Amino acid sequence: MTAARLAFDAAAGVAIIFACVMVVHRNPVKSVLALVVSFFALAVTYVLLSAPLIAAVQVIVYAGAILVLFLFVLMLLNVPEEARRGSGHPIQNFLASVAIVVFAAALLAVFRAYGGIASQPAGDWKADVADVARLVFSEHLLSFEALSVLLLAALVGAFTLARRESRS
Amino acid sequence: MIVGGIPLGDVLLASGALFVIGIAGALLRRNAISIFLSVELMMNAANLAVLGYAAALHNLEGQVVVFFVIAIAAAEAAVGLAIFVALFRHTETIDVNRINLLKW
Repeated sequence: MTAARLAFDAAAGVAIIFACVMVVHRNPVKSVLALVVSFFALAVTYVLLSAPLIAAVQVIVYAGAILVLFLFVLMLLNVPEEARRGSGHPIQNFLASVAIVVFAAALLAVFRAYGGIASQPAGDWKADVADVARLVFSEHLLSFEALSVLLLAALVGAFTLARRESRS
Repeated sequence: MIVGGIPLGDVLLASGALFVIGIAGALLRRNAISIFLSVELMMNAANLAVLGYAAALHNLEGQVVVFFVIAIAAAEAAVGLAIFVALFRHTETIDVNRINLLKW
């Protein structure tokens, strides 16, 4: 077992554990904080998969901006802890559990069926950030510009949705 | 940076585990924001799988795709949270079982 594989498995383990904490916790603020740790661990795995640019974007945009936005909204709305006894029908949780198990089994079956490629090493390759930038700003330039329009549309949409209606 | 062999199987297993955890959260939680967080987690699991394949196939396109996915996730989070704020203002709750205006 190489050092990179050991590091990858450790980081992925941390990400999985804190994702479980996120799902299990009833207090939404603590859920968000657990997810921040999970996303940081994921950024480590991205570095090990020779994607340093994506790792930086993950830390800055995901852990830094998106989850802070979540925290901000949670504290703005003052969301209470989830009650232990749910508000829904009791069969909901049972059906959800069945769906989760079936989905996990299906995913595992797919990975086993297409496992031929899985023995390929994913780590022994160096990608250059400059090459990624060249690709984004040449071949995918149109998508990049469309993305800027999308972000503007999301900005305007979020503003319109969250604005208090005028009392006229 | 450490260079060495990470088998793609490990990457896919981690990605699948994170995705299943995200599904579990989305189905079992009743708080709309927790469900949204689970969706974000599922998106990250998919990103991890894409990056794993990009590294295994020595192809940079995967990193570009993940870059775009993260940017779109930012837009989606902004709009989604705005919807929750508007919803909370109307119904005073974000428990998805209590928001049943469209139920028969």
